[in-house]
Order: sequence, then C-alpha cells, then structure tokens
Amino acid sequence: MKRYIIRRMLVSMPLLLVISFLTFVLINLSPMDPAEVILQAQGVPQITDELVEQTKEEFGMDQPFILRYFDWLVSSLQLDFGDSYINGKPVWSLLGPAFFNTFKLTLISSIAIILVSIVLGVVCALNEGKMIDKSVRGISFFLTAMPSYWLATLMIWYFSVKLDLLPTSGMDSYKSYILPVVVITISYAGLYFRNVRTSMINNLNEDYVLYGRASGLPEKKITMHILRNSLQVSISIFGMAIPIILGSTVVIENVFAWPGLGSLSVRAILSRDFPIIQAYVLVLAVAFVLFNAISDIINAAMNPKLRNDL
Amino acid sequence: MLIKKIKVLGLLLLVLSVLAACSEEDSANEKKSDETDNELVYAVAQDINDMNPHLYTGSMPAQGMVYESLVENTKDGIQPLLAESWEISEDGKVYTFFLREDVQFHDGEPFNAEAVKKNLDAVQSNAEKHAWIKLSTKMENVNVVDEYTVELELSEPYYPTLVELSMTRPYVFISPKDFENGETKDGVSGFNGTGSYVLTEHKTAEFATFEANEDYWNGAPEIKRITAKVLPAGETTLLALQKGEINFAFTDDRGADSIAVEGMNQLEDSGDYQLIRSEPMNTKMLVANSSKADNPISETAVREAIWYSIDKETISKDILNGTESMAETLFSPNVNYADVDLKKRGYDVEKAIEILEKNGWKSENSSEARTKDGKKLEMKLYYDSSSSSQKTQAEFIQASLKEIGLQLEITGEESTSIANRRATGDYDLLFNQTWGLAYDPQSTIAAFTSEASYLHTTKGIKKEDELYDNIEQVMVSTDEQARKALYAEILTTVHEEAVFIPISNGGMTVIAPQNLTGVSFKQTQFELPFELMNFK
Repeated sequence: MKRYIIRRMLVSMPLLLVISFLTFVLINLSPMDPAEVILQAQGVPQITDELVEQTKEEFGMDQPFILRYFDWLVSSLQLDFGDSYINGKPVWSLLGPAFFNTFKLTLISSIAIILVSIVLGVVCALNEGKMIDKSVRGISFFLTAMPSYWLATLMIWYFSVKLDLLPTSGMDSYKSYILPVVVITISYAGLYFRNVRTSMINNLNEDYVLYGRASGLPEKKITMHILRNSLQVSISIFGMAIPIILGSTVVIENVFAWPGLGSLSVRAILSRDFPIIQAYVLVLAVAFVLFNAISDIINAAMNPKLRNDL
Repeated sequence: MLIKKIKVLGLLLLVLSVLAACSEEDSANEKKSDETDNELVYAVAQDINDMNPHLYTGSMPAQGMVYESLVENTKDGIQPLLAESWEISEDGKVYTFFLREDVQFHDGEPFNAEAVKKNLDAVQSNAEKHAWIKLSTKMENVNVVDEYTVELELSEPYYPTLVELSMTRPYVFISPKDFENGETKDGVSGFNGTGSYVLTEHKTAEFATFEANEDYWNGAPEIKRITAKVLPAGETTLLALQKGEINFAFTDDRGADSIAVEGMNQLEDSGDYQLIRSEPMNTKMLVANSSKADNPISETAVREAIWYSIDKETISKDILNGTESMAETLFSPNVNYADVDLKKRGYDVEKAIEILEKNGWKSENSSEARTKDGKKLEMKLYYDSSSSSQKTQAEFIQASLKEIGLQLEITGEESTSIANRRATGDYDLLFNQTWGLAYDPQSTIAAFTSEASYLHTTKGIKKEDELYDNIEQVMVSTDEQARKALYAEILTTVHEEAVFIPISNGGMTVIAPQNLTGVSFKQTQFELPFELMNFK
C-alpha cells in the first residue's frame, strides 16, 4: 500500500509541472505589455514611456521568458508567489487567509452535501419509483437548474430581510455560514445524491442481497451492507466534490461578500493582478490533483485489486 | 394518512407565518435603534486597499476622510485648509504657505513646515508616477522658512498649482513617522493623517472602520464612526440597505452605480431613505479618433453628423432613467472657464443626412452604408463591458447611426483594454468621461496633448498646432482675462471639430437615512464631506 501511495503521488508531479507552465504562459500571452498592466493595476492615472521602462526593470521583466518562469517556479515551490501588483503585499499573505475562509466554507458544505446526498439517495433508492422518489428527484432537478446567484439572492431576501433571522452577508458569526452553506448544498447535493441512489439500486439487485434476505437477516442490516458497498463507488465522486466546490465559490462569495478565494480571484482578474491569478490557478490545480490522488488512494485501500493498476 | 400529512403541513405553515410576523416587528425596532447609533455603514464594491496617500491604489473616499491637503477646492474657489493663508510671488514662481499651528497627525506628531517638506519631497521623489498632475513636473524646491511657513519654488509659473495641491492625492500629508526609509513610494508603516477620521480597523476584503478624530483642529465630527463594508454584489447591497445592516451608499470611483436605479427609487419610496444627487460633475462622451486617416471618422463632417444623430434626450430619460442630464458641450457651464457660447447641435437626423450628402457620402441603397470614392461609411465603437448602461447606449447609438447610413460595429471590452486603445490610437470611437469638477478644465485639456490620453483624438484636426500652443500658454498664463480667452478658444476649437461628442452629465448619488442631515458634496466625484453630516 505504501508503494502505491508513493507511486500515485509521483505520477501527479509531471501533471503539476505542465499546469504550472501553462499558467505562466497563458498569462504572458496577454497582448498588453506586462509593465503597463502593473501600472494600470496600481491605478497610475497616466502611464509614460519612462515609467514603463522603470517598471520593467524593477520587476525584472527585461529577463528572457524561460528564466522568469524558472524563477517563478522555484519561488512558488517555497510558497513565495511574489507581491501583488496592487498593494505590494506578498501574495501568500492575501491568498492564505482567503484560502482558509473558502476552505472552511467548502468543508462544511461538503459534509452537508455528503450527508444530504446519502440520506436522499438511500430514501429514494429504497422507495424507487414511488411518489417520494419521483418528487425528490423532481425538486432537486428544479433546484440544481436554478442559477446559484438567483437562489442566493432569494434566500437573503426571505431569511435575512423578510424574516430577519440571518445576516445578509459577511463572515461575522456562525450565522453567516448558514445561507452560503445551504445554497451550495442545494446546488450540489442534487447532483451527488443521484450517484448514491443509482449505486444503491444496482446493489439492491445483487445476489448477496437476495441471499441475505433468504437467510432471514434483518432488513436494517441488509440496508447497511448495501450502503457500505454503494458508498465505495461514491467516494471518488465525493473526493472530487471538495476541489470542485473550492473552485466554484466565486458566485456565492460575491453575493454573500465572503472574503475568500473566489472574490479574491475575481478582483485580481478584473485588475489584472497577475501574481495573484497565477497563484490562484496553481493552488486550485494542486487541490484538484491532490484530491484526485487521495480518492484513488482511498479506493485502493478498500479494494486491493486497484493497487496493481498503476 | 394523507389527512394527517396535510394537518402537519398546515401547522408548519402557521408556525412559519407567526415567526415571520414576529420578526418583521423585530426588524422595525432594530431599525429605530440603529438610527440613534450615530454611525454610518456604507457599502463599497472593493476593499479600501493600500491607504498610502502618495500612491493610487487606495479608495479615494476613505483617503479623503483620513488625509488633508494644504488648501481646499470649493464652489467659491480655493479656500484655506491646512494652510491658513498663502502668498504668490509676482513672477508666479514662488508660493509661500502659512500653516495652521494647531494641527497634529493622528499619532500625535506635530504638523509643521518640516512635515510638509518631507511629504512633498517624498511625492516628488516618485515623480514619474505623478506625471498626470502637471505640478509634479514644475515643482523644483520645497523650503522650510520657519516652523509654520513653507515655500514652494516652481520652474515656471503654473496657474492650477493651488487646484492641484487641493486634490485627494498625491499632495496630502501623512505622519513622517509612517515613512519607510524616509520615503513613501515603497509603502508606509501606518496611515496617520490629519483628517477628521482615524482609520482604526481594517480587515482586508471585509470592512474598514474609521472613528471620529476627537482632536480634530476644526472640531470633532458629529458622526462618531464610519464603516466601509465590502459588498461586491449590487443586489446584496440593496438587500443589506433594506435590512438596515448598512445605512449609507454612494457612487464612488470604483463601485459606481452598483445599485440599479429601480432599487434606489424603491429605497426612497420606503420612507427610510433619502436620495440625494449632486450637480453635474463630469461629462460622459464619445471620443472620436480624428487622426485615423484611413477611416471616415477623420472627417469633421462625419463627426458632426454623428453628433446630430444621437438622441441624447432619450438616452438621459430612458436609458439612464433621468439620473444624468443630457450634455451639449464637453464641459457643463458650471465648470471653471467653461461657460463659453458654443453652437448647439441638437438631435436632428435630417441635418445629419444633409451634412453627409453635402460632403460626398452618397447612399445607393437605403439599407446599406453610404459610400464615398468606393469607401464605406463604417466604423467601430468600443464600450466598457462592465458597464450595463454603456452597452445599452452603444446599441441605441448603433441603431440611430444606421438611420443616417452609417454602419457602426460595437465591441465591449475591459476598461484597461479601452485605456490601452486610447493610448495607442487603435479605435474609431470610444466611450470616455471627463476628469470631473475639481480637475477640470485643466486636467482633461492637458490630456489633449498627452500620448497616453487624447493625443490621437486631437491630432487629426485642422488647427492642431494652434490648439496645442494655446494649451501650453493657458497653463502658464498668470493673467485671468488672458486665461479665459485662451480656454474659450480651446473649447471652441474642439467643439467645432466635434472630436468629443458629449452625451450626458453625471455626478454623485447618495443614499442616506431619512434623518441624516448635512449631506453635501465636494468639488470632486471621488469624495464626500462626512465631517459635515449629522443625525437630526
């Protein structure tokens, strides 16, 4: 198992390298002079040629492209992503807290999504084809199709303004978590509970269920067995849910004024604060690759046959 | 079974509606208590950012609360602020300022001639970044005469000196204790100004709190605390105002117009809020690239025809919902030196067609673009894709121009990319706006000759050299009458050439609690005098 983990991790390395290179190249493909971009990001009212030259030198932009990439890569590996163009603060000092805020939201939402998905999935599978199954699926289809900013605005209007139960936005107390978590859960649980339901239904038709029933095992025990088996399939899907939510909180954070990665990246993109954009893309890419590896490892731990696949 | 379920559901609904009724009462009570709190909480679309007053990333309204300048630009001209009085030498090259003696920075450091010198020198040592403010290229020396007297030596007379010294940045003062290595260009260690409010707490991307400066030389302000809360989405801002979580909003330099007009009207109708608009402060306009030789836009007649065919009244009334009045000239007459008698070009499609016909632009097929010597009457207009009203205006103008046989292609781009087009001359028409009240006319007019701004706009006109000469002269002229005449000439030239096609006059909009009084405006669209406000 240890060997598998090491091998699985090593396989991810080249992928990360390619991603890091692409990130750097894409941003450098921008048709504008990067020095001008910096000055515009700093809000300098009038950009002169002298100022552009001066800025180029200051930021080492007169260096060849490949040298700049390696410089950036080496310092990125030490978590030094450079300084923000806008306020000159080190990127990690901005990215760190934002990442932490988004991660808290993501983690709580992921747990909520997993719990809701399992409960709904099991209920629907056990009542396959019945009224309750149909209505849960119908409602979830409707809710997932709703744009999340719209759902969020509606929720704020009802629960914050109309009922005055929760704050509209911000990150002040535990109350601030409720609405964003609910909106994220509604948007994603609808997708994930289907997986649980399908694999439960598949398992219901397996021979061991028939055997269990035939030998008079209590129905509760059989259900637990089916659940455990069907969750195995869902683990990799749930594993990827975390980075997906991590990367897609932009809209939610914007509406709820959540000081996280999403709002940081939007601000950075709008003002072309490249060091932050690069670091953001890299962090997300690492999260995707990492969680993918982790879900593979968990699967391999549960199913030894998979360990030889690599 | 079914009946039981219905019963449960009914009970649930009952409980929910009772809860809703209770909490509605609660929220009403809460609102009342908020009003006595003597606190303003306003929404900003972006963080206040780095508050270093000698750089350009910070929020201007916030900087305006914390820092002060030597003099103040008001409706009645330049007034004393940190300088009690001043003298200008006869040759117009030396400005002597007599400072107030009762001022100290928020950290207790004294405000004196030495502090003024240190600040001005720190700004000047980064002069390249301040190229837009012409004073930075003319300031030669700052001399400390005695503890409260300071002297500014210029390389040549420059009449807007006092105006430029009055601006929100960069010529404002921060405690020398906050300097890093004797400079401010690479950052500062604190944000201690002399202003009426002190920045006491700042959580990036969340909020910033300003407390009243109880030792303020002009008396502590009535409103004891002001919080800038970051709310990036306009819908949330509106809901937060309805709930009373925030109680103040205004159009600032970045979060401008984040609340839709209908939303603002709805707040006003609720009776909890008042809506206050300033007088016109800037002009929104189309800028035409007169120097683009291979394009019809280089012809004065074509530009005039475009001017005549834009229905500004409809834009002002229907697209901008009456929030901005229609503009006839580059500057509205309340701008200094801009009350000049200029030919009016109202909405007149027939006149536009007549001008085109007279200048050889013939139409063979009414549904297609006119042609002249085989060249088609077509061009491109760029607008800021993040502005919803610009997009609608662009579409409206496109349809209007089609009627006179001009084919307009419209493209939405980011504001930085539009600024880049303006600087490189890679455009036919684009949306822009003047610098605004305190800065005009001198800043917008100085930009006529600047490579980074409007040089391509003005380069192609007939009397271009004369125009540039006049601009150079007006900036150094020391005689008021001569200056007036020069400005009149400059404004007439660009008006006749129709390179700046005015559309509407915009200003500031404030949403404030109904019982807040003393809401007024400064001579700039980027700041508000919070220190004058109080609750009834």
